[in-house]
Amino acid sequence: MSDGSQVLIIGAGIAGMEASLMLSRTGRKVYLIEKLPLIGGKVIKNEESFPNLECSTCMVAPIQQAVLQDPNIETLTLTTVEKIEGEAGHFTVSVLKKARYVKMADCIGCGMCYDPCPVSLDNEWEENLGKRKAIYVPTAGSLPNVPSIDSLQCLKLSGQKECSACVEACMFGAIDLTEKDKKLDIEVGTIIIATGSDLYDVAQLSRLGYGKYPGVYTSMEFERLFASNGPTSGELTMRDSEHQPKSVAIVHCVGREELGYCSGVCCLYSFKHAHFLKHKLGDVAVYNLYTDICVPDKTHQKFVESIREETQLVFYTEPTELSVDKKDGMLCVNYLDASGGKKSINVEMVILAPAMVPGKDTKKLAKIAGIGLDDKGFLAVDGDGLGTVETGKKGIFIAGCAVGPGDIQNSVIQAESAVSKVMSTFLSEVS
Amino acid sequence: MESKNQKQFEPRIVGFLCNWCTYAAADLAGSTKIEIDPALTVIRVMCSSRIDPNLVLTTFFDGADGILIAGCHPGDCHYGKGNYYTRRRYALLKEVIDTLKLDPERLHLSWISAAEGNRYAEVVNAFTDKIKKLGPSPIKSSSLF
Amino acid sequence: MKKVGVYICECGPNIADNVDIERILASVSSMEESEGIEIVAKPYKLLCSGEGQEYLKEEIETNQLTHLVIGACSPRDHNSTFINVCKQTRLNPYLYKLINIREHCAWIVHDKEKATDKAIQYIRGGIRRVLYQSELHEKKLDINPDVLVIGGGIAGIEAALCLAGPERRVFLVEKSDKLGGKAAEWGSLLPRQAGGVKAIQDKIGQTEANTGIQVITKTRVNNIIGFLGNFEAELCQVDDPETTTDLTVGAIVVATGFRLNEVSSLPEFKSADSDEVYTTLDVERMLKEKGQVALQTGEKPKSVALIFCAGREKVGYCSQICCSTTIKIARQIKEQNPETAVKCFIRDLCLPHKDDQAFYQQARDLGVEFVRVQTVKSDGVGVHYTCMDQSNGTEKFDMVILAPAMEPAEGTTELSEILGIPLHETGFYEEAHQTINPVATATDGIFVAGTARGPGGVTATLNQAQAVAGKIMVQLIPGEQIVPEVKVSEILEAFCMGCKTCLDVCHYGAIVFDEDKGISVVKEAVCRGCGNCVGSCPSGAIQLKHFTKPQLYQEVIEALR
Repeated sequence: MSDGSQVLIIGAGIAGMEASLMLSRTGRKVYLIEKLPLIGGKVIKNEESFPNLECSTCMVAPIQQAVLQDPNIETLTLTTVEKIEGEAGHFTVSVLKKARYVKMADCIGCGMCYDPCPVSLDNEWEENLGKRKAIYVPTAGSLPNVPSIDSLQCLKLSGQKECSACVEACMFGAIDLTEKDKKLDIEVGTIIIATGSDLYDVAQLSRLGYGKYPGVYTSMEFERLFASNGPTSGELTMRDSEHQPKSVAIVHCVGREELGYCSGVCCLYSFKHAHFLKHKLGDVAVYNLYTDICVPDKTHQKFVESIREETQLVFYTEPTELSVDKKDGMLCVNYLDASGGKKSINVEMVILAPAMVPGKDTKKLAKIAGIGLDDKGFLAVDGDGLGTVETGKKGIFIAGCAVGPGDIQNSVIQAESAVSKVMSTFLSEVS
Repeated sequence: MESKNQKQFEPRIVGFLCNWCTYAAADLAGSTKIEIDPALTVIRVMCSSRIDPNLVLTTFFDGADGILIAGCHPGDCHYGKGNYYTRRRYALLKEVIDTLKLDPERLHLSWISAAEGNRYAEVVNAFTDKIKKLGPSPIKSSSLF
Repeated sequence: MKKVGVYICECGPNIADNVDIERILASVSSMEESEGIEIVAKPYKLLCSGEGQEYLKEEIETNQLTHLVIGACSPRDHNSTFINVCKQTRLNPYLYKLINIREHCAWIVHDKEKATDKAIQYIRGGIRRVLYQSELHEKKLDINPDVLVIGGGIAGIEAALCLAGPERRVFLVEKSDKLGGKAAEWGSLLPRQAGGVKAIQDKIGQTEANTGIQVITKTRVNNIIGFLGNFEAELCQVDDPETTTDLTVGAIVVATGFRLNEVSSLPEFKSADSDEVYTTLDVERMLKEKGQVALQTGEKPKSVALIFCAGREKVGYCSQICCSTTIKIARQIKEQNPETAVKCFIRDLCLPHKDDQAFYQQARDLGVEFVRVQTVKSDGVGVHYTCMDQSNGTEKFDMVILAPAMEPAEGTTELSEILGIPLHETGFYEEAHQTINPVATATDGIFVAGTARGPGGVTATLNQAQAVAGKIMVQLIPGEQIVPEVKVSEILEAFCMGCKTCLDVCHYGAIVFDEDKGISVVKEAVCRGCGNCVGSCPSGAIQLKHFTKPQLYQEVIEALR
């Protein structure tokens, strides 16, 4: 039974978590829903975040734990929104909570169930660079530290074969293969949508060789290569070779011309990547190919300058003309220089920094919520040009990268702003 | 000085770990079940800057063979700048320990972030090996003890 | 007689299989005699479970335990679980300790004998420590929900509008004689232009009409003391500093804005007063007043140069918004005067907002020329530049417009000292945490929004002002109390020699000096419990509650056994 004070937050990334903790302090009940089995969003996929190269886990783990331990916050993982009905003060949100097949109250996260599982497949959280089992946590240090079972891959659940290896391995009887997906109706007064973004699918640009040449990586793949709890334990060994690269070209602005906007964060993390490479490998030639170096915050330029010596800055023009092909066993990055002349650099690895695009489910969610999208597919902000987190629908607010490209700081500010809007939503009606 | 006890020498090492970074790294190392030498005993503090020189010296005088102070990387301190002060105090302590004719290598400072579980294990095991090679603290065989 | 309950969690096989729990219990029990205490030592299957917690509650009450030690997993996992258990009994939660014998012992020492020895070391150390722990009691403090906003520009206005309500007053202090700040001086705003200007004027109107907001113009802040929930501010009139007013508020918002870097003093942009050289702000004002750009003679310029990033090398950072606003000016000039040659000398374009690039592309489509340069200088209306391909160029224009860097407003240094909050090396206010706490400062209760924090545009400023409002609304709820941290430092008067070292090292300004007594004193409500002051004190006069020297030393004793 909702008195209109309950809040639903869709997306448990940094924006969603921050908003939920703030609202919980006021005694409000918060439903935090997340489609993945873990909370933390994209921030936890980076070992270190710019501009201070601060350990993301150190920054975010206390927030994740506070969320999971907060008595006012009900976190529903493996959950998506199917329908939103009603209006501000009286929304009814229908959600689908997929079965985890592991009882959260009984599991202590010891991990004894992973080894016995006979199914091994690519781990999508690790950008398919590592493997996981059918019963798994996406990464060491996942929170909640409770595995889930991929029902399509599990031999038993997909009906392929009788198997109870994990059930037998669990000393706490925490695994329940009979669990079913659940539909729940949640009544809330306001909603904050903070579903984040994705990276542009660089496979669409065949000129860049992604998917064709194993040495071409996306920035997110590289983040996982570098992570000390990632698929190479931070050793930066390349896929299909176990070899550390001796030369790397980092290409900024991938997809910028095609999509028509700058994502504002890629230059920074690309220089961060250059720093990681130099720091870890020492003897490696690094090139950052850029069109405009975008360093909007007061601390960013200094950060880039501190890394300047570690890379070779290569200015290029006509981004749609940049291509990657293979020659004599090396990857060849072909580009146009300042005067339009053709140049190329031969390297062993290429890291592409793609544009930030709306998350895959943004369009569907906008329709469900009855809110608009802008011309780029991000959630549209309402207002006369001075809007920040409001949508066209009263009681529904948006925050973070679901609204447009931005860095972590921006997501946090928007989340805090959305909280102030939630708090004010009914104040004018209070006499 | 070689002693017949050196073969069975099991060092006593105290590790002062900061709650936010290194303690978390130690937890992560534990959860991945890496083997870590039991010579080191973890003592948790909220910030490495809590570690005052007096506590370090007392710990040495009570017979510690080695002391590890570990906290967040510079710039990452949960309390702003605490670890910068730790670094300064550590530098001073190294000199003081040297004047006491105690090998300064017995005091070690390491910045280990919460994600660096493997590195925590490496640092602790390497430090333990070093202390094993240095042998028991001379304070234990002195009249002070 | 002290009675310590020691409970070892089996944690399924995780602890039970890897250490000999019976041996631990036996060793612990032997401490009864050596330490002169009573010990209740038992194993349990899973203490964090519902049944486990009920079991502990019962054990505490039945055995009348004076202290509790739990050997289990990491405090990062379940410290709060067991604190809650204590809170439901008569046992003070600070007389309990959770010892990590799972992550730091059972899981990493693969020899069972050695693991058991290690666990014994940890548990005994924990028992010794807990005996030295003191009861700590959480205090509740009444708070004042009102807010002082310093600066009447759009950041201050927006924060005031979001915060003011029937139960919360806002005092909006502005040093000039009117509200609106810089944004009110512009004739158009990004990204949707005409509507934005009206919206700002509307906000100014709403602020003046709002009975929950007291607008105090021609006034500045003289002094602030206090802490979150309880600040005392002394204001004075700009023209008459002797006339002061006192205010009590619960939170402070710093929204003092920016000023533009003095480009005319830079050697690379020489010009005389007679030259047609303007800054972007000059042109904004011109456009607002006259509706168009004109030379001093009143004629329209036939050619205009706009120089981006003027003075950027000097300040060392990008001002984020100048590319877009300068493009906006270039567009307006071109739209009004299609025959005028409008040429922009750009470096790296900073277009990080999703509509910026389209805006730039539209300028190009209109016929605004963009020349990418490596370096650019001006001598009156003569512009000299080097392109990315190393070629050089010199051109003369009728008018040159420079886009200067944003700097912190005048008086920022003085105000930061009054408030006791640090500045970033660029001179703007430093955030509590740049990434995850960007509108708070090192002092709880003092927030910063808008260009006082760093360069940014109107939308970013509004966002930050709303974020500040959000933070204040959840931290200072009218009628509710706040509970400050209890594990704080305290200074033992008898030992303090008044050297003031601790004042310097405290990041939060939590220590003040009592001139009468000649000693330092900790403001408990502000202290965050890091212990840096303890580490700095040469006379050992400072103690951090729950992490005192005797407590830590007890752990050391067992570690060295």
